[in-house]
Amino acid sequence: MPLTSASFSRSPLSFWRRYRSGILLLTPLIVFLLCFYVIPLTNLLAQSFSFSSGDANRHDGWTFYQYLKTYDSARLGRVLSRTFRISLITVLITLVVSYPLALLLLRASRRLKTAILILTFVSLASSLIVRNYGWVVVLADGGALNSLLIGLGLIVQPIRFMYSEGAIIVGLVHFAIPFMVLPIYGSLLRIPPSMREAALSLGASEWACLRNITLPLSLPGVFGGTMLTFAVSMSAYVTPLMLGSPSTAMISQVAAEQLLVQLNFPWGAAIIVTLTVLTFLLVAAYASILRKVFRATV
Amino acid sequence: MQQSSEYQATGYQTIVRAIGWLTIVFLFFPVLLTIIVSFNASFFIEFPPKALSIDWYGNIAKIHRIGHATLISALVALASATVATLFGICASLALVRTELPAKAAITAFFVSPITIPMVAIGIALIQFFILLGTAFTWYSLLIGHIVLVLAYPIRTLVASLTLSNMSLEEAARSLGATRLQVFMTITLPQMKPGLISGFIFAFLISFDNYPISIFLVRGGLTTMPIELFNYITQNLDPTPAAFSSLYIAIVSIIIFFAEKRWRIISYAIH
Repeated sequence: MPLTSASFSRSPLSFWRRYRSGILLLTPLIVFLLCFYVIPLTNLLAQSFSFSSGDANRHDGWTFYQYLKTYDSARLGRVLSRTFRISLITVLITLVVSYPLALLLLRASRRLKTAILILTFVSLASSLIVRNYGWVVVLADGGALNSLLIGLGLIVQPIRFMYSEGAIIVGLVHFAIPFMVLPIYGSLLRIPPSMREAALSLGASEWACLRNITLPLSLPGVFGGTMLTFAVSMSAYVTPLMLGSPSTAMISQVAAEQLLVQLNFPWGAAIIVTLTVLTFLLVAAYASILRKVFRATV
Repeated sequence: MQQSSEYQATGYQTIVRAIGWLTIVFLFFPVLLTIIVSFNASFFIEFPPKALSIDWYGNIAKIHRIGHATLISALVALASATVATLFGICASLALVRTELPAKAAITAFFVSPITIPMVAIGIALIQFFILLGTAFTWYSLLIGHIVLVLAYPIRTLVASLTLSNMSLEEAARSLGATRLQVFMTITLPQMKPGLISGFIFAFLISFDNYPISIFLVRGGLTTMPIELFNYITQNLDPTPAAFSSLYIAIVSIIIFFAEKRWRIISYAIH
């Protein structure tokens, strides 16, 4: 008996001795995140299982009412499928336009590389509202694109580009490009140049090099970039607010509307939890498919 | 055979290069047009401008409470970036230089706020602050922004510490330097690039945030993105274009010099 109690009391102590400096360094941060991140999000989750003051048949205790309401709502179904559709198209377009830019960066001279990277970072760092405003200037009825098309004689009446899914996708692609270019460029940098040189000197064409060496070896960057882009598109809030209309609303907008305007906290919480869980599941499913198909470490 | 494969190669390379350049044009296009429109004399957004003026720059002050809001945004960004960087120093030292169980899981937890929808963080925090009775105060806004930006300095600091040379510290210790001396004279200078890039990213992301702030502010407490957004939705004149051009100019200058001086971009890529 004494032996057991001794080892029992010694094991947390030896744990403490072994990891003391690490634990001391991390404690303030972990306490902060528990207080202002984990507890609020848990509270949000708990709220989503409660009734709002306006709900019929309300009673005390837990309920799936808000989730059933989300599932039953025709509008939310449309909003969810629209959010998914917009995000998917955004990811595909962003990938197609970003990969060549990453290749261009890799092959560019030092000065050009710095110039492109700074431009990408300025784009990343200029306010999202500022950038969306730029797209309003381009896409508005009297904006640059309509003036150009009318000037060229292609159209007579201005076309309404704004307040549509297309306008949201343009804004989201613009927002997402840096999130896609940087991981792809990072993984391209890790490919030893000697592999490409060896293939070329053995008579492979540039295209064969890209298909058989560069593309497969840069897949981790592509996966990272597509996952990040998909996540930011699914939870987009400001872009659909500025470039879309209520009839092209995305899921974050509907949740925010419940919380800021309708003051229905439990339903808003259920919508935002649905979005978070759905995004997480889709990203996890994507990663596991990639792991199986490409045997990649994602 | 050889001829045709070479022909194909140049063809595909031209396409790749063309798409790459088009993407750069696409990235810069709205920025360029915003700058042009900001010098437009007309009251409405009009392209190409018929007459030029710089009046809209003078009109920036007319955006409701913009000076006050920009000051609050700058202070909150400064404070949240500072706190996040200090947390980041502790976290990166613990994760890179000490022995700990489940390091991967701890790191994933620390950077997880990036993957949670910002609206969810905003909603969760405001409900929590209402329960605590501290909603709509500057320090609850600050706490929201620390959660928002925390992941960035942690990532850049872990990167720069992983790249740094630990044998220098061991040499200094064996030559009799105290732990504090080693930290101040060797470890901290080696962390500098990650420290600076993490701080700058945290600052810019906090300064720009709308989806978290919109839940945490009310009344006299307001931020720059919120006032800019309100002005854009309520007015049609090019004043926001003037403000945006100014903003882009300042951000470009900061990034240009930070890259020249500290190579912040290379640390963000790793």
